[in-house]
Amino acid sequence: MRVGVEVGGTFTDLVAVEDGHIVLTKVPSTPHSPDIGVMNAIDHASVNLSKVEDLVHGSTVATNALLERKGARVAFITTKGFRDILHLQRHDRLNIYDLRYQRPVPVVERRDCFEVSERVDGHGTIIEALNTQAEVDRLVPALQAGAYEAIGICLLSSYVNPDHERAIQSALEAHLPGVFITCSSDVSREFREFERASTTTLAAYVQPVIDAYLNRLEKKLGKLGFKDRFSVMQSNGGRLPVGGMRRNAISALFSGPAAGVVGATRQAMRSEVGNIITFDMGGTSTDVCLVTDGRPSLSPDTILDGLPVRTPVLDIATIGAGGGSLIWIDDGGMLRVGPRSSGAMPGPACYGRGGTLPTITDAHVICGTIRPEAFLGGTMAILPERSVEAFEPLAKKLGMTVAQAANASLRLAAANIVRAIQLVSTEKGHDPRDYSLVPFGGAGPLMAVEIADDLGLAQVLVPPNAGVLSAYGLIASDFAKIYTMTRRTAVDDAAPDVVRDTFVAMVAEAEADFESYELDGDLSYTFGADMRFVGQAFEISVDIQAGALKTLSRKDLIDGFIAAHHRVYMHGASAAQAIEIVGFRLEATRKIDSLPLLKERALTDRPAHQKSVMQGSDGPYDVDVLTASSLEIGSEIAGPALIEGYSTSTFVPAGWFAVRQENDNLILRKKA
Amino acid sequence: MALNPTDYAVISQALVAAAREMGEKLIRSAFSTILREARDGSAALLDRDGNTIAQAELIPMQLGTIGSVFQSCAAAYDLDELTEDDFFIINDPYSGGQHLQDIFFFNPIFHNGLRVGFAASVAHHLDIGGGNPGLSPNARDVHSEGIILPPTKFSYSRDWNGGILEKFLRANVRAPLQTMGDCDAQIAANRVGTRRVGELCDKYGSALVMEVMTEFQNYAERRFRAGIAAAPDGVYRGEDFIDDDGIGTEPVRVRSKVTIRGDQIEVDYEGTDPQVRTLLNAPLAATMSATLSCVKSVLTSPDIPFNAGVSRSVDVKVPKGSILNPNYPAPVRARMNICYRAFNATMKALSQAVPEEVIACGFDTTTSGCLSWLGDTGYSVYLEIYGGGYGASVSANGCDAIDMPMANCANTPVEAIDQDYSFFRVEEYALVPEAYGHGTHRGGAGFVKAFRILKDDAQVALYSDHFRFPPQPLFGGTPGTTGACEIHRGGEVIQLGSKDIRELKKGDLVVFKLGGGAGYGPPDKRDVDEIRLDVANGMLSEATASSVYPQYAAADVD
Repeated sequence: MRVGVEVGGTFTDLVAVEDGHIVLTKVPSTPHSPDIGVMNAIDHASVNLSKVEDLVHGSTVATNALLERKGARVAFITTKGFRDILHLQRHDRLNIYDLRYQRPVPVVERRDCFEVSERVDGHGTIIEALNTQAEVDRLVPALQAGAYEAIGICLLSSYVNPDHERAIQSALEAHLPGVFITCSSDVSREFREFERASTTTLAAYVQPVIDAYLNRLEKKLGKLGFKDRFSVMQSNGGRLPVGGMRRNAISALFSGPAAGVVGATRQAMRSEVGNIITFDMGGTSTDVCLVTDGRPSLSPDTILDGLPVRTPVLDIATIGAGGGSLIWIDDGGMLRVGPRSSGAMPGPACYGRGGTLPTITDAHVICGTIRPEAFLGGTMAILPERSVEAFEPLAKKLGMTVAQAANASLRLAAANIVRAIQLVSTEKGHDPRDYSLVPFGGAGPLMAVEIADDLGLAQVLVPPNAGVLSAYGLIASDFAKIYTMTRRTAVDDAAPDVVRDTFVAMVAEAEADFESYELDGDLSYTFGADMRFVGQAFEISVDIQAGALKTLSRKDLIDGFIAAHHRVYMHGASAAQAIEIVGFRLEATRKIDSLPLLKERALTDRPAHQKSVMQGSDGPYDVDVLTASSLEIGSEIAGPALIEGYSTSTFVPAGWFAVRQENDNLILRKKA
Repeated sequence: MALNPTDYAVISQALVAAAREMGEKLIRSAFSTILREARDGSAALLDRDGNTIAQAELIPMQLGTIGSVFQSCAAAYDLDELTEDDFFIINDPYSGGQHLQDIFFFNPIFHNGLRVGFAASVAHHLDIGGGNPGLSPNARDVHSEGIILPPTKFSYSRDWNGGILEKFLRANVRAPLQTMGDCDAQIAANRVGTRRVGELCDKYGSALVMEVMTEFQNYAERRFRAGIAAAPDGVYRGEDFIDDDGIGTEPVRVRSKVTIRGDQIEVDYEGTDPQVRTLLNAPLAATMSATLSCVKSVLTSPDIPFNAGVSRSVDVKVPKGSILNPNYPAPVRARMNICYRAFNATMKALSQAVPEEVIACGFDTTTSGCLSWLGDTGYSVYLEIYGGGYGASVSANGCDAIDMPMANCANTPVEAIDQDYSFFRVEEYALVPEAYGHGTHRGGAGFVKAFRILKDDAQVALYSDHFRFPPQPLFGGTPGTTGACEIHRGGEVIQLGSKDIRELKKGDLVVFKLGGGAGYGPPDKRDVDEIRLDVANGMLSEATASSVYPQYAAADVD
């Protein structure tokens, strides 16, 4: 049996798959100690842990430790003269007109920052040698007095020559047993000292937390008979065995939204759809990600709680538009959606928990896309009259009916989501019209067609059980680790050999790592070069096909870069200018042996076909209401129709039709 | 036709997103450290007549006046004769520009043959010719500061890509790879804006998009006016000054009279000192930007879009021939610092109207530091903008070591400098303890950045301010701290002036010291825990804590 357990902010989801039989469970999360929720889910689903051969876990433990500032007590060590890197940051402001601007607070206080005398230049040459013994003798008393749980070391230019960092690390380890020591060169081997120092301290900050959490969970699982493979989801969409994750805590940060992207990708591939835009709409926010040929886009960095994290992560754009997002009118008379949310309490007005402000969920209730009797399988009471009351003042201000205001709000929310999709598509030089939209999460499939229409997409693919797709994504994910390295290389005749040699060395490192994770089996690789014109500072990632590496020529490198530059910037790409490679990226993947199947969970408690009335901007209209698991495979359902499943509903507007495929994917297309 | 509120919200936000993407592309495809790392550039979308609609929020100083700079182009040419291949370029401070380093590009946007708007970008260029690389502190007229581009129409196919304008520019700048690459980045930004507006017109029709452009300006005006109306009517006065004019020792003063009447505000700089012979003058466009930035920051919500609608409720009067509106050919390279004093003087006036909305004076000085060296392969020019500490407010300490309110330049990473320059190395970049004014909330701390010179015959040039007089506090706080620039040579320390240029020797250490902001409110009201944290973090000594903050000494006894 394979089991995926995903801990979210509100719910902990479990998916267990065995021989095509599937068990889905949702239990409340237990934020103070998430492992309790995990064990509850396992108990609730009656999973026999001694029969589980593959357990995959996704959690927001690392991210929450940062957001709630409950990580380890960290000391920071850097080159003399630069103690304040973490506090000086980049000298710019994120909000330019805020006179009381405060910069993001690092996870290390100034008093916990230490210096060592040494200096390496940008070529890796040692300018000032490190006297390891003297520096360590000087530092140890202060480090012991500070009772630090973790230490982050980031020295200038260590991305090109890590010797000094390593020397300090091994000397300190002898004096400070039990303290986690992280070198920047183990976390991010890329230039720009503040971003690298920030990444290093964040890794140090969450590592003891992750380690303690995984230890606790492993023990509990072991007590119940679990002895097989235990792995954890990372922010890059691949998983790592738990032993590897303990040494690689940084990839646990921001891992929350990754599993859903993987689940959507895998499920779409079963319909041979490789180009997708994933659209995960939850209670407070929406995550979107572009997937090309079955490979999610990566971003070289991200920002968490204002602090840069320089490690490859799925390129996910997040906006504050979810079911609970508030709808309001600003002091200039403009209709706005989010980013403020009604949260879990009081929640949307229709929940009847004291919320009086209109939300996206209330708009759906008014429009009829959410039917009170069917919400969450009919398990939760919905008060539609509260939604109407919440919308009335706003409708009055806009000079509209309540139904019109609700429809307008949904359109605006859709437009906000469209802009998030443009961030990861058009801005990166990809035409969204070459992609299918794959909605999931509680609210995604209700709004998918509106968004697809807006972007000019021809197709929407709704996976089965779209509400628990993230947990499925866990067990469907491959083992993966991404290696990056800054090594400036002029694109001249010698470049192809440098590229080959660099990748050979990186592949050797990957092979050694996977061996240490006790993962046998073949590794597959994706190669990429981060390139720019000499003089630029931001690189464009250019893929190098594994098969083409052997015969790679200077011209291949130039052509690949020029095409990519033009796609993104539309101007300035001239092959006559000098080009350089700045960084190398290797993605090592150990594919899982077989893909578990996800099927729609049967709903037997309601009729397969009913009628209902929806409220459009131009008045009420009739709509068919169908049950997802009862749809006949291959037959067309014409919109307007509402297709209700266990964890979410799909809205098919007029002009579109839906077909359930054999693999339980629901394909929506525009009528010719 | 009444504009549908949904269309309006959707399209206006799409225009904002397009402007933001333009700014992003400008920075990310740029070549010079001043643009790609320091982000000293901006981008905007304008309506078909050249009124600003939406801007990428990068540099406040540049944002206020993109539209008015455009008007000098509109005055020189018939806009109806423009084609898609045309563009305007301008940097002339005496035809609406700011200073010569800021080159503006404007591209018309057409949809089905109809001109629907303009895409605009501006970038601070590393070197634009003139007497010295990057910065000419001794310039006595605008001609010594670089080449002047009057508002001129060019064509891409004819004049760029090997054409006359490109050749001419390339031949007249010292770091052509960077300058020409940055021009390409500006063009790329404008192409992106053109494409995005075109896509919106395809989808919604150009008539609707243009209607939204108009309404979005009205929207900003309404919100801006609401902010002004909330402040009490009255006449308020403020004054501030720069250390000197770079030649003499007398301070140069700015006087600001602010009149709030209903939802309209007037700022009058009558009484401000006359223009000076040095590069400290501010052209009118810069003064307008400074004034708008101050009013916007103090009186209105930060999320109001900065477009042409904003300026409708603000009248700015600046006497001709004053340092805030000089006559040709006064040099204007270092316009920022007198603009900061205009900002401070207007802020002080507003502090009488809305004491809880203003902040004390920060270091509020642009320090432009330039190191240059002529090597075997041509000039190597390093230019960086340094901020300082922010002024404190009623509710918070000023932000430490950050760029100042009217600019927003990032630092150049030490590791980027290590890669790009061989004639010097950064040896220290650090906060300076106690470099701030005290108060109920303290000012932001200043910082130091020190450069070891590795080759003979290098040069340092700078302009700055607050080397003699510190920033002033509000409501009982203490003043901020002054800045300095020093050359450490052997055992000797050479103090530089705030506008200076010197030859350097191998082994010199050039030290820029940037001052901190002033405090707000009496120190004895400061929270003891905050004082303790400053002490623990080494930002405040025990001795100073005990002498300035009696409550700290008292709490320690307990």
